[in-house]
Amino acid sequence: MDLNTTKTSKIKSNATSGLVLEIQKLSTEDGPGIRTSVFFKGCPLRCVWCHNPESIPTKPGLQWFSGKCIGCKSCIEACPEGSLTFTDDGVQINREKCTASGECVNACPSTALQLFGKYWELDELFHEIEKDRAYYEKSNGGITISGGEPTMQIDYAVLLLKKCKVHKIATAFDTCGYTTKNNLEKILPYVDLFLYDLKEIDSKKHEDFTGVPNERILENCSWLTKKVKELGKEIWIRTPIIPNYTATEANIRGIAKFIIEELENNIDRWDLLAFNNLASDKYERMDWEWKLKESKLLSKEQMEYFYDIALEEGVKNVNWSGMTKRENEI
Amino acid sequence: MVLGFLLDRIKCPKELKKMTESNSPIVDANCKTTKENMKFSVAEPHDLSPRAKWLRDYYFMGNEREWYNEYMPFTTGAPWGDRIWYEGDFYIVPDVYAFIGVKTKGLYNTSLDLMAQKVKLPKGFWDLSLPERRSTFLQDVMLNYIPQEIISDNDLIAGGQFNTQLSKCLNKKQYKKFEKINLRNRNAIFEYHKNGFGNLGATGGHLIADYKTVVEKGFKYLYKKAKTVYDNLSKQEKQGPKGQELRAMMISAELPRKLAKKYAEECRRLKNEAKSEERKAELEQMAKNLERVPWEPAQTFWQAMQAVWFAHMLIIAEENYPGPGTSFGRIDQFLWKLYEKDVILEKNIERDFAKDIFSTFMFHTNTAYDAQIKVGRQGITSGFGQLMTLSGLGPNKEDVTNELTYMILEVFDEWAPILEPKPNVRLHRGTPERLYEVIIDMITRAQGAPFILNFDERSMAGLVLEGIPEEEVWDYGCVGCLENTMCGNDRSGTVNCNPNLAKSIELILWNGKNMPGFLRPSRKGKQIGPRTGKAENFETWDQFFQAWKKQINFIIKYTVDVYNLTEVTRAEYVPTPYVSILVDDCIDKGVDIRAGPPKYGFITIEGVAFATTVDSLLAIKHYVYDKKEYTIAQIKEAIMNDFQGKKEYKIMRAKLMNKAPKYGNDTDEADALAKEVMKYWAEQTWQYKTPTNYQFRPGMLSWNYWAGNDANYTIATPNGRFARTFLSNAICPTSGADLKGPTAVANSVGVALGGKDTEGNYVNYLPNGASHTISFNPSLLRDKEHREKFKAYIKGYIENGGTSLQINMIDSEMLQDAQTNPENYGNLLVRVTGYNAYFTAIGKELQDEIIARESHNM
Repeated sequence: MDLNTTKTSKIKSNATSGLVLEIQKLSTEDGPGIRTSVFFKGCPLRCVWCHNPESIPTKPGLQWFSGKCIGCKSCIEACPEGSLTFTDDGVQINREKCTASGECVNACPSTALQLFGKYWELDELFHEIEKDRAYYEKSNGGITISGGEPTMQIDYAVLLLKKCKVHKIATAFDTCGYTTKNNLEKILPYVDLFLYDLKEIDSKKHEDFTGVPNERILENCSWLTKKVKELGKEIWIRTPIIPNYTATEANIRGIAKFIIEELENNIDRWDLLAFNNLASDKYERMDWEWKLKESKLLSKEQMEYFYDIALEEGVKNVNWSGMTKRENEI
Repeated sequence: MVLGFLLDRIKCPKELKKMTESNSPIVDANCKTTKENMKFSVAEPHDLSPRAKWLRDYYFMGNEREWYNEYMPFTTGAPWGDRIWYEGDFYIVPDVYAFIGVKTKGLYNTSLDLMAQKVKLPKGFWDLSLPERRSTFLQDVMLNYIPQEIISDNDLIAGGQFNTQLSKCLNKKQYKKFEKINLRNRNAIFEYHKNGFGNLGATGGHLIADYKTVVEKGFKYLYKKAKTVYDNLSKQEKQGPKGQELRAMMISAELPRKLAKKYAEECRRLKNEAKSEERKAELEQMAKNLERVPWEPAQTFWQAMQAVWFAHMLIIAEENYPGPGTSFGRIDQFLWKLYEKDVILEKNIERDFAKDIFSTFMFHTNTAYDAQIKVGRQGITSGFGQLMTLSGLGPNKEDVTNELTYMILEVFDEWAPILEPKPNVRLHRGTPERLYEVIIDMITRAQGAPFILNFDERSMAGLVLEGIPEEEVWDYGCVGCLENTMCGNDRSGTVNCNPNLAKSIELILWNGKNMPGFLRPSRKGKQIGPRTGKAENFETWDQFFQAWKKQINFIIKYTVDVYNLTEVTRAEYVPTPYVSILVDDCIDKGVDIRAGPPKYGFITIEGVAFATTVDSLLAIKHYVYDKKEYTIAQIKEAIMNDFQGKKEYKIMRAKLMNKAPKYGNDTDEADALAKEVMKYWAEQTWQYKTPTNYQFRPGMLSWNYWAGNDANYTIATPNGRFARTFLSNAICPTSGADLKGPTAVANSVGVALGGKDTEGNYVNYLPNGASHTISFNPSLLRDKEHREKFKAYIKGYIENGGTSLQINMIDSEMLQDAQTNPENYGNLLVRVTGYNAYFTAIGKELQDEIIARESHNM
């Protein structure tokens, strides 16, 4: 399997229970201050560079961590579908048979088998979020709902956002923009900051890279930016800089022009995020192929080059971050 | 969406590479060629004045120096025998037990006896009382046997050699009795230790002497005070212990004056030899300073630093112990007025010169370790904890940071890495932004090593609990590593009792039997604790937990009983009248500080292996009583086999380790039990007092015992820990058990200490405070934005966390590189628990442990 063959189906999610991949405390890369990032599962895009591939499937997914396995084979006996085998290479998962029942995860003594994705009751999740209130308050931080694409569980997202606002916790919403205006309208009243991805300005290329064209994303972005500004909220644009894909002068200039012309340079920040290759082992654990497995990191100079282009085009508040090559690797 | 970006790597900042030029000569000689290839940067000294650079370089020349402050033993030469080295001071250092001897005097004593210089005793010496003999002996040695030396033309503060090993001046009867009692104590201590309960003993240092009074009023004031009290005694009292002690105190109070006079003469002598006019003037001023202080109140900043150094060095000389936890207190407060006058208002001296004075002071504090300079890698592997408490709250809950605070921090930064003294910076809700900036800047440069951050609100809540009035508690300070005490009127014996709390798990599982864990567990065990019933028969968690409480009670009681032996012996045979005059109320009471408490007096029981204990209880609760997946018998069997030999044991261990709840993850269930355990054991300590009337109190420091001795004597534990492997450190979660990041850890630590009450007031069960070490990945300080986030984390810690925090800013890759290429990392200083150590100079096991600590990315 790989990114392209994974279907996007509806998530079994409702207003009080949502499918969450991970809750990341002390998150410092998803908005201002210290945040708790809640990664929702499910995504309509299939970006070739995706570094959270486990967020894509709309069901919990099983992964095996070789380093944690003690080789006891408890999981083999526990699996009701007989979908696990133990070979010289460790535990093998038959993805066709596996229903992610979680029996093997319960049986595994060493957390070598883990299910990615857990249904969280709203109150339970909010309790988890509230624990770090002191840090949000000291840093102007809060929560960031991310994913995946969190609008795929719109009702749950709205309720969570609402609850945070009622309890005076600041909210950010990280979206790829490939959603309906209606969904954006639903969350708009409860979001203080949008983190909005603009990955590739050329729609054809966008479709090649992510599986969907970008017209809808760009249109939503223009609309949302206006709304956000009317309401006195914030929007940050984020662009992953991926070698051989989005890392081109034309793309950066194109997005910069879009920001200036269509968004009237009215955004609060533009982040250029350097590609990282750390997701490689995730793909392996999911038994997915990853085209970018062998891709090299960008150099600091390359990132600064794109950063300079963004500035040159006149965009305000540009930042770049992420992994770059060490000097001795250049 | 950018989860992966969290794992940012950072590169070696170029500006730090440049600083390698100013490194100390010895390290340079070894490392210069390889430094080019260093993957990571290590803090380097920078911007040192020529004087400071000389002093620092000279210090690091180690045993290449022509001068050092070596141990000098002195004996009375009494024909019935002499006792020079008092082992009681070192019972808390199990590493030296081998040198103490079993039934004999042991290696240290014998060699010191052989080397000791005989002191010519004044007439009538043996007719004097013990305290008077002690103070007279100290005086004779300091004035007539130890040379008064000014260390080079760069020295600005007099007071070179002071590492004495003094005869305990026991008369024949005392000597015989002492040796007998000492042997009894030794056996009791060794027994306690070998059973794995930890270590204890009444030891020296660990207090903040009243340097404020020395600066503001001088020893003259203390002398007069002692004389007044003495004069008011009845004739009978004068002949008794009070009179004896007060006479000894008066002798002690005059010693600094007499010694200063001799040093003044030396300064004048050097002045005549001095080549430059500038140095002549300096020496003249030094002589003048010494003619005034520490007898009279200090009139200048320079005099004040001189006075503090004299007062301090004589404590080490009297206690024969190189400065363990002998701390300076709030030096930026009690020197502020003089600093402000000299540097800011009247401009009598340049700020740079004030920095040089402070640098000289720093140099001298480091020479306290010269006694070990010939051992190991330059002998300088870790410091002893002469702390300086900086910043913090004032009497009206205002922040009291001043320009002297910043000057001192600047010197620390320029000297880093350096072991002594250590700054403990007191933070609180009102700490100014500028101070945060300075601290974070220093942490960025020096791997976080130079600091302990102390948190006022939580700390003070604990001190109030021990009875310090609200109107005084703001003026607390830190000793040793991070232990909270009051300044100038408090001795809290902060390292005296170090029980291994994890032993309670063995005792509860085996019905009060101790299962010695060294080498191989004994199958039979040894009945040492109360019989609380067969653990297999407890039907509910509550029954089990109630029985556990009885075992922890026993451990506290056993600790108190054995400790008291050493406390009483020290009180009777090893008085320290000089220290006594420097801690308020001892003079008024006419009682030696070792025989009775000053205004505030405590003996701290520093619980070791807290998280190991809590996690073990949690594992039993979870798997035996909640899930009913294992029986107590099964767990005991696996423990006795150290989880090895059978597949079931291996599986069980994996479950206990990975799937039982663990303290440190901000989970309600685990932390609630942690809090209950903390509250319970802490409360038990308050039941006891020493025969000398010191009150026991709880704390959590656990120096390096968790990594060494105690660990070796503790069999496997139900949290999945193998026998003889590390226990948990102080209040930190078990290594590797905290998986939710730094906010979760901080929240757990705060909850375990008591959290906040319903009205939002801080609660703290441990007045001593608790050591919390946390490692961060350096990438979190990579730019301004992230530094702001780190600052906010610290502010959040003030709200939710513990009493103190030690930060290691270390990349685990860097540590691994340092293990492989130690030659490149001679300067890499890391926090171990409450102390700093050079990473390459510590053992591989401890290195591995430090690497294994969760290094938190932000």
